[in-house]
Amino acid sequence: MHGRVKLKSTAQQEEERRKEREKKLKVYLATREACFAKRKQGALDEDALQLTQQLLSSNPDFATLWNYRREILLHQETVREEDEVQKLYEAELAFLESCLKVNPKSYGSWHHRGWVCSRLPRPDWVRELGLCDRCLLLDDRNFHCWDYRRMVVKASAVPVDQELQFTDRLIGSNFSNYSSWHYRSTLLPLLHPQSPEVATLCPHRPSNSPTHSHRVCEEQLLKGIRPYIELMMMPHSIFLIRAEREEMISCVYVCREGEKVVVAFSRPVKAKAVGLMLVLDGQPQEVEWVSAPPAVQHSPVWICELPPGTISDINNEHNLTVHWTETHTHRECALYTGRTESWCRDSATDQELFRCELSVEKTSVLQSELQSCTQLLELEPQNKWCLLTIILLMRALDPLGYEKETLAHFQTLKEVDLMRSCYYSDLCSKFMIENTILKMEYAEVRVFSLSHKNLSILCHLDQLLLVTHINLCSNQLIRIPPEFSMLQCLEVLEADDNVIESLEGLNNHLKLEAVSLRNNNIRLMSLLKPLASCPKLTRLDLRGNPVIQNENVQSELSELLLLVKNLVL
Amino acid sequence: GTQVKDVVIKPDAPNTLLLDKHADYIAAYGSKKDDYEYTLSEYLRMSGIYWGLTVMDLMDQLHRMNRDEILEFIRSCQHECGGISASVGHDPHLLYTLSAVQILSLYDNLGSINVDKVVEYVKGLQQDDGSFAGDKWGEIDTRFSFCAVATLALLGRLESVNLEKAVEFVLSCMNFDGGFGCRPGSESHAGQIYCCTGFLSVTGQLHRVNADLLGWWLCERQLPSGGLNGRPEKLPDVCYSWWVLASLKIIGRIHWIDKAKLRTFILACQDEETGGFADRPGDMVDPFHTLFGVAGLSLLGDEQIKPVNPVFCMPEDVLQRIGLHPEGFLTSENMLEMSR
Repeated sequence: MHGRVKLKSTAQQEEERRKEREKKLKVYLATREACFAKRKQGALDEDALQLTQQLLSSNPDFATLWNYRREILLHQETVREEDEVQKLYEAELAFLESCLKVNPKSYGSWHHRGWVCSRLPRPDWVRELGLCDRCLLLDDRNFHCWDYRRMVVKASAVPVDQELQFTDRLIGSNFSNYSSWHYRSTLLPLLHPQSPEVATLCPHRPSNSPTHSHRVCEEQLLKGIRPYIELMMMPHSIFLIRAEREEMISCVYVCREGEKVVVAFSRPVKAKAVGLMLVLDGQPQEVEWVSAPPAVQHSPVWICELPPGTISDINNEHNLTVHWTETHTHRECALYTGRTESWCRDSATDQELFRCELSVEKTSVLQSELQSCTQLLELEPQNKWCLLTIILLMRALDPLGYEKETLAHFQTLKEVDLMRSCYYSDLCSKFMIENTILKMEYAEVRVFSLSHKNLSILCHLDQLLLVTHINLCSNQLIRIPPEFSMLQCLEVLEADDNVIESLEGLNNHLKLEAVSLRNNNIRLMSLLKPLASCPKLTRLDLRGNPVIQNENVQSELSELLLLVKNLVL
Repeated sequence: GTQVKDVVIKPDAPNTLLLDKHADYIAAYGSKKDDYEYTLSEYLRMSGIYWGLTVMDLMDQLHRMNRDEILEFIRSCQHECGGISASVGHDPHLLYTLSAVQILSLYDNLGSINVDKVVEYVKGLQQDDGSFAGDKWGEIDTRFSFCAVATLALLGRLESVNLEKAVEFVLSCMNFDGGFGCRPGSESHAGQIYCCTGFLSVTGQLHRVNADLLGWWLCERQLPSGGLNGRPEKLPDVCYSWWVLASLKIIGRIHWIDKAKLRTFILACQDEETGGFADRPGDMVDPFHTLFGVAGLSLLGDEQIKPVNPVFCMPEDVLQRIGLHPEGFLTSENMLEMSR
């Protein structure tokens, strides 16, 4: 089905080809019928092996026939001596090798070969490894062969460094060697089982250790210069991955008004079922946890309401403990007399929220890599791999210090690699938001400005639980996403001069009082519905949106947003 | 600089969507019973029918296909164990069990087969480590994890297998680049990534994916011609317009692809003479690439084509009728309906 070129031919050539195919078809159908007939009869003999062999030689994807062969072979095991069985299966291996020569990418052939080895009284793993060597020399991107090799290596306990040397040879001689690099990424952690970089390479596995290193990257770097694509690719991936953060409660917020408790986690959790427990003044509370955004099974932010009157009296002091039983952790929060709200939160820099902690040794390795990449960039200023690697090295070394250079490199990237400009915009937006959150540590936690940052997307909203005022003006945002509901304390939203066409994330913001959406792209009345669910919303500025061109806009809006006294159109 | 493996689109390549030609091509394909290639592909016939029917439905031409013949064919392909084969006389397999269930969903005729037996068959293929074998002969592949949960989701019987273990296995196939392979340790490949992100969507575990990392790997599949390949240093292929694009859609990063350039590539893969799509411009067409070309265009927003669901590769209206939630869960209303 793949790679079959359409050839132009004369009418005579067409006719000749048609006749030949008709002949081939006749033979094929006859053989197939014979096969099926024999199988129906329950024949498990040499004849059947012959027939299936004929068909499988040219059509190894005919899976049912491999099944039939297995049935025959299994039967032969019961009626033959061990030596005969060994010979039988070795003949099978020879047949398979001829099949693989014709079509080295048939799932059926490779699986059958693995099955045969599992039945062989005396499997020859060295020969199997040799087959893989030869096959990969011809095509080192054949994943069937790589997977088969991994099975052979496991079955015969081939040492890890022997396999690493094998990948070395391939990488050295072949330009297209992503498969070898991938294999290395699975082998290196086996050499250093206790080391944290295992976490760096396997992003789904939760890390128990708070520190991460880049030792693998270092190995690559220390082994000398490689074709630049691979060099750029490996460090890139490693830097983008930060092992899943330890699962824990990162912030607890309590508010007397509405008797609300909001809990933010370091990553999405499933709090609905079990695990999240609230204890107030020593008494466990029965509450229902709701996700933000709502109706989501896994969320970093969860909200509950205490029974009316529990904490509403401002003269009372309360002690709140939130328990996350999944990890046996908890967070305490004291709500003092005279205070309407309270919170307990980790500092962003302490948690190393966005990057890995680096030792002095690792830092110097990355710095020298940054130097070499920078030099390479001078020779090839349009090298996108270089640009991307430099950006990521800078993020790892000093995200705030290198902010200016990072922005400049992103600009170049967008020009050099137009097709992926949206990716670069989003990635740059993420980094600028991270930097703003990091700077938040040295300023206020409740007023947050992201204006004029060329943002194409919003993220890390789970970090903004406590924010009361947010400025998103003058960016390229297309929507207020559902995750925006994590900003449970939001009172004022400024989002002028974007291209916003959706306000999904503005549903049920209970404290939201003022919204400015001047010069955006809101076209339909229905898109403003979320605002109707914000009970405290009194000021709304919609100037410069297509929707205000509609007839009756004033009256329709007043009807939709009954509470908004200050409607600016 | 280094040579990039890619194709060059000729200036006279098709640049408009020839929907009528494609419908004619598929409608006529089934009657090719005396064709050599057609016969050779009998081992996947059930999937072939699913490809043809789905693309016809996407083009709103399903009525041109032979519903009764196909329903009878499916009935004759269900084996005693509950599994369904690609064709009469062939052995059952998860791949064709899914295709059959997809076809019956399109035709709203799940009653044609013994659903409980299908569930039993799927359940019986789950291994201790959570993985799924394709059939009783034991080949393990994340494709089969997808086939298993997609089949069960369409039947409203997801809870029949150990989902936690199934998820654990799929996640153990995640690689350094954020992608997924066939088995733990296998190289990332767009087809496997489609299966795994689809799997994680159906099982409500998409948050376990590193969407930024995987999204980058996926958008790097786009070559200068605008076409997508399946992994680094490979030629573009129209079927990757599906595997890659659907994956990006599932993880919410479809805007990281240059849509206009991809559309140009897909359209160039059409054959103006015969109808249908080929893997790349100038090659021979087939129903497989025709489906994925059309489905890819649908994901890109072509309004002449019905919206396609990125997880199941079926028209969205079919899934709505079944009551499948975007994340793959049955809505509570529909579960009640099905249990009546």
